[in-house]
Amino acid sequence: MGVPSVGSKLEPILKTENLWKVFRAGSLDVAALRGINLDIFAGEFVSVMGPSGCGKSTLLHVIGGLARASRGRVLLDGNDLTSLGDAGRTLLRRHKVGFVFQRFNLLPTLDARGNIALAQHIHGDGFDPHRFDVVTQMLGLRERLEHRPSELSGGEQQRVAIARAIINEPKIVLADEPTGNLDTKNSENVLGLLRQLNKDLGQTIVMITHNPEAAAYGTRVLHMRDGLVVDGAAAN
Amino acid sequence: MIKHMILRNILYRPVRTLITIIAVGVEVTLVLTVVGLTSGMLSDTAKRIEGIGADIMVQPPSASVFMAFSGAPMPIEIGQRLAQIKNVQAVAPVLLQFNSTNGLDIIYGIDPVTFGQVSGGFVFHAGHELQAADDILVDDWYAKGRKVEVGDTLHVLGHDFHVAGIVEHGKGARLFVLMSTLQDLSGARDKASVFFIRCDKPEQTEKVIGLISALLPHYEVRPLRDYMSLMTSSNLPGLKTFIDSMIWLAAAIGFLVILLSMYTTIIERTREIGVLKSLGASRSYVVRVILSETTALCVAGIVLGFGMSYGVRMLFLAVFPTLTILITPIWLLKAAGLAIVGGWLGATYPAWLASRKDPIEALAYE
Ligand SMILES: Nc1ncnc2c1ncn2[C@@H]1O[C@H](COP(=O)(O)OP(=O)(O)OP(=O)(O)O)[C@@H](O)[C@H]1O
Ligand SMILES: [Mg+2]
Repeated sequence: MGVPSVGSKLEPILKTENLWKVFRAGSLDVAALRGINLDIFAGEFVSVMGPSGCGKSTLLHVIGGLARASRGRVLLDGNDLTSLGDAGRTLLRRHKVGFVFQRFNLLPTLDARGNIALAQHIHGDGFDPHRFDVVTQMLGLRERLEHRPSELSGGEQQRVAIARAIINEPKIVLADEPTGNLDTKNSENVLGLLRQLNKDLGQTIVMITHNPEAAAYGTRVLHMRDGLVVDGAAAN
Repeated sequence: MIKHMILRNILYRPVRTLITIIAVGVEVTLVLTVVGLTSGMLSDTAKRIEGIGADIMVQPPSASVFMAFSGAPMPIEIGQRLAQIKNVQAVAPVLLQFNSTNGLDIIYGIDPVTFGQVSGGFVFHAGHELQAADDILVDDWYAKGRKVEVGDTLHVLGHDFHVAGIVEHGKGARLFVLMSTLQDLSGARDKASVFFIRCDKPEQTEKVIGLISALLPHYEVRPLRDYMSLMTSSNLPGLKTFIDSMIWLAAAIGFLVILLSMYTTIIERTREIGVLKSLGASRSYVVRVILSETTALCVAGIVLGFGMSYGVRMLFLAVFPTLTILITPIWLLKAAGLAIVGGWLGATYPAWLASRKDPIEALAYE
């Protein structure tokens, strides 16, 4: 937590080396990622943009350990994901990654509190009421904790999803079009909160978006095309 | 946390949950009722036969322990030969007949004199000993259950009998008529199904059995002292097969319903399983969630099944007051165990499927 130190900037929290992901569709091979080299440092808020089908989601899945790379390496907080099996990647997801999805993906049967607590339960370090309070306070969820997803607005649902993603203090938050299902007002709210998390808690975030205004909330914007990162200029 | 999630999940689909619970309840009820009914009948019969007070029972070759099921009669002259054996005090031939009018009853055709000698005689609550050909004696339970009184007419075996007396229960059957009458009715002239024998002294039982066996090789000669222990379903091959198949049938119901229910559950919750996996839930965590949910459903079903079993017993006893249905703690446990194990087996495949789902495909599931 807190502002990242200069020291931590030297070693990227996430690094990919010549990362490939090839899907086999019937007899056809589809290369979704074609040799991506990427460094993301602790405390960064990176926006990823690019046309539909260029491999943004695939990149997020592979660096988050949801999918296996076909070739190349992914180093997350010093761990080589590509050498890990299913169980190893599961552990890494549990301890180092927080996902936020376009469709919120809250469990419909649980209220907001249950959805957040579920992540803590899976993490397995017991229930940390302090962290829970800080996070729900910050995301403005204190009054909505006893409500189920169906009783929450889209913006509120996404805030619950963000709370769930950061409750276990992951090294990195990976958000795939988190405002894709939200109206402008709620989008701004959610983006503002992500920026606040990044600034105040030093949370490293990678966010996919189609919207340049949303991308501008990040500290850096990456552009992808045909499975490659085509630039990495720091936004300012 | 898992407990909370499971509770929410099973409440989320109340109809499916209810159907699953009822199916498990039926499974448990089926087991308890079938076992309770058969073991109740067996122990009832055993008690009553022990209650006759005879020392030895002689049946034709290869007759079943559960003698009412084996009609195969013997010539009545055998009785005279038995009576001549040393230390035999009295021999009572009895002809057995099943009556299925108004429930199942065994009727004893007896000769009041010899039956009295062997059993020490009936204790009469009302009325008198068998005299006329159409006289019938009923025991007090039968009388109470069917509201029969002395002087009433009782329709059994297609005949109208006159209730001559009400006797204390526990003398082999609940209904007694004259042997000659029963012989006429069943076309078994000069035949008996079983001989009950009283020895001069109970200690002579072993010796007398030896003598009878020498006289009548191949006949079934049994001491009655531990008759109860013989009256178990494992000594009755046909009955045991029946009970076993009913238990398997019940277990199959539970297994299949849980399999189907959990299978639809995990298909329906594919995306949620993807979410659990994205949060870092291991395969074993997913399996645990599914199995815990199954356990919860089974436990609810078991509780319902226990209640239903006692309900069914009450219903049965209301219709057939002379029946005994034994629901024992051991069988409550066994039925519960069967339901849980069957449920887990049924949930194994869905749980395995769920645990192996690819998280990305699962998250993309509509
Ligand atoms: N499971 C799969 N099997 C085969 N091809 C796939 C699979 N998943 C993705 N692809 C292909 O990989 C490419 C990249 O897909 P990806 O979902 O990463 O794109 P994206 O940049 O996220 O697009 P969008 O902006 O529409 O979400 C696409 O051509 C897609 O068709
Ligand atoms: Mg995408």
